[in-house]
Amino acid sequence: MASNFKYPEDQLLYFIRGDHLGLITTYSSAGETRTSRKAFQAVDHAVTNGLLIHYYGNPKKVTSITDTPDIDNLFHSAIVDYVKKCLYMDRAGVSPDPNTAQVSMGLMAQHERRFDNAIKKYGVRKRSKTGGTRAIVPANFT
Amino acid sequence: MAIHSLTVKQIISRVRQSFPDAPEVYIMSLVNDAINEIGEYSQKSQSAKISIAADQMFYNIGDSATDSSSEKMGINKIYRVDVMDNADDYIQIPRVLDGEPLMFDMTSESTGIKDPGD
Repeated sequence: MASNFKYPEDQLLYFIRGDHLGLITTYSSAGETRTSRKAFQAVDHAVTNGLLIHYYGNPKKVTSITDTPDIDNLFHSAIVDYVKKCLYMDRAGVSPDPNTAQVSMGLMAQHERRFDNAIKKYGVRKRSKTGGTRAIVPANFT
Repeated sequence: MAIHSLTVKQIISRVRQSFPDAPEVYIMSLVNDAINEIGEYSQKSQSAKISIAADQMFYNIGDSATDSSSEKMGINKIYRVDVMDNADDYIQIPRVLDGEPLMFDMTSESTGIKDPGD
């Protein structure tokens, strides 16, 4: 089913409400005249693959030991810190020996700090792929 | 040029330097927790196509939402929406900043809106 929209940028709008994307239009395939109160309505015809959405998505989970995590390789070593942080926390929680628990808490904090630094503190700098000479292209008013 | 990356097996091997008895399944579960948490900061840019249904105002973008190929999308944040025009080209459409239209379509409400967290 093809689209009837000649100028989608003028005829359609979207909005986000929680887990839903609302798509509204002023366009009517039947040429219906609408009052301003009811100007925006749902699209009245089906369009196969009509919406193209661009988004930041969840990485895929790993299911096998041969999988490679679905995130930038710069963050792979941080996963080790995260896992060790959790395991040291577990050890501190179950150890009957206060000394072992104390040492585990210290190591837990160290791995947590390394993870936070890698992801939260310096994550943006690591993943930014912007670079090179900058150029300004002025608008053509002719 | 080879790029250094770690497989889950290599991650498990590094973890077992300190925790030789840690169960593999538990480590994998923690690895997935880490991936989820990193996903909040490492923004993975993706795109997907969804078919427009006649007279449907709302489209599901929750955790279970799928695209036209029935692939789960896993949307965290939408930053651009395009709609196909009559020449089969995708054109960016604007987002309404102040909410919703005055008229609400009850048919769309029942077909599009589902439980929160769906």
